[in-house]
Amino acid sequence: MPEQFDLADRRLTTRAGIDTEELTGRHFPYQFDRDLVEDVDLVAATPGEDLNWLEDVHLMAEDGVPAVFDRYTNAFLKIYFEIPGGREDEYARKVLIKHLQEGNSYGIWLKHQHAKFSQPELGPWLRDSATVGTAWRPPQLAGWEKPAGH
Amino acid sequence: MDTLNVPEGRTGRYDVRGLAEPDAEAPKIARVDGESAVFDAAELSPRLINLELRRLIYDEGVAEVTIENPGARHSIAVGILTRCRIRINGSLGYFGCGLADGPEIHITGRVGWSVAENMMAGVVVIDRNAGSLTGAAIRGGDLVVRGHVGARTGIDQKGGTIIVGGNAGSMTGFMMQRGRQIICGDVGGGMGDSMYDGAIYVGGKVTSLGVDCVESEMTPADEELIDRKFRIYGLDRPDSFRKFVCGRKLWNYDNLEPSERKLVL
Repeated sequence: MPEQFDLADRRLTTRAGIDTEELTGRHFPYQFDRDLVEDVDLVAATPGEDLNWLEDVHLMAEDGVPAVFDRYTNAFLKIYFEIPGGREDEYARKVLIKHLQEGNSYGIWLKHQHAKFSQPELGPWLRDSATVGTAWRPPQLAGWEKPAGH
Repeated sequence: MDTLNVPEGRTGRYDVRGLAEPDAEAPKIARVDGESAVFDAAELSPRLINLELRRLIYDEGVAEVTIENPGARHSIAVGILTRCRIRINGSLGYFGCGLADGPEIHITGRVGWSVAENMMAGVVVIDRNAGSLTGAAIRGGDLVVRGHVGARTGIDQKGGTIIVGGNAGSMTGFMMQRGRQIICGDVGGGMGDSMYDGAIYVGGKVTSLGVDCVESEMTPADEELIDRKFRIYGLDRPDSFRKFVCGRKLWNYDNLEPSERKLVL
């Protein structure tokens, strides 16, 4: 199992920033090493016979750095390795799928604590993902008592 | 909550209007054969249908589910967040297959309004007609309606591809922000009104264009997209399409806060 699946590494944050690195408190190796995403199968990772939702994912830029937008976190993930000309979108999609499949999307981390319904932990891009949300209980405010009559 | 007239065999709190069943449990009536399963929804409420569906997909690991006799019930197959295949033999009411992220769903009948609304990823194919607001606010995936659709198809669409084999009603693509629509037939008035981005391809006539919607030239990439989608879904391709996009006269993109800009990505 990859190191990124270690649940103990996942810390929810109260920081105000919304960048991937700030939310997760770390960088990820596939942001820097192109070889780590070469074998990502985009068609296999998406429903249907083509790229499906990845059709709308393109290489963009954040702070002047190439980046891909992770809609599950509402944040950009910067890409620091050199991208071959004409393959910008392909590598943006591969980095994003790698990020999601390894369970590193911060928005997905929130499922541990906040998923209210039974659902796959890591989403449809990975087979046999663990199930979360089976035992959600409303959060209780310490010292609060339900008003009489309710 | 009215607890009168509790059906035989059902326990706990029960809303006779069928709007809430807080204590409902999956009926466990499906016939499971390996990775596929089938169940009859004729006697089930929408909540029980969805509970049975989720039990099969999430708990039993079933990859292909067939639902018989859906009876045009509302809000069926909502919130399916994994890769699977669902076949619905019949018609659905409103808000069917919403909030999907991964499933491939085939509906052999008709659907009411807002089918596949807010779909994130997946494939929804409808063999007959669909109501208004088809594919409202979808963010990704393919939504294919082989028949006609009502008004405001793809309203607030933020991604994905909507394909209509027949005609589309008024205000198609209203406030569209990204994604693609391919309409083989005619389109009603106000098409693409206030669209911000994305493209609408029309094979038939357009009654009128909405505010800031303009015609654009087809590119080889557009032709490749249309050919590919029609091949995948076995649709008859009209001889030619016209492409419509945002005229960008209403754009004030650069004035938005960065966080607002991300809302439409």
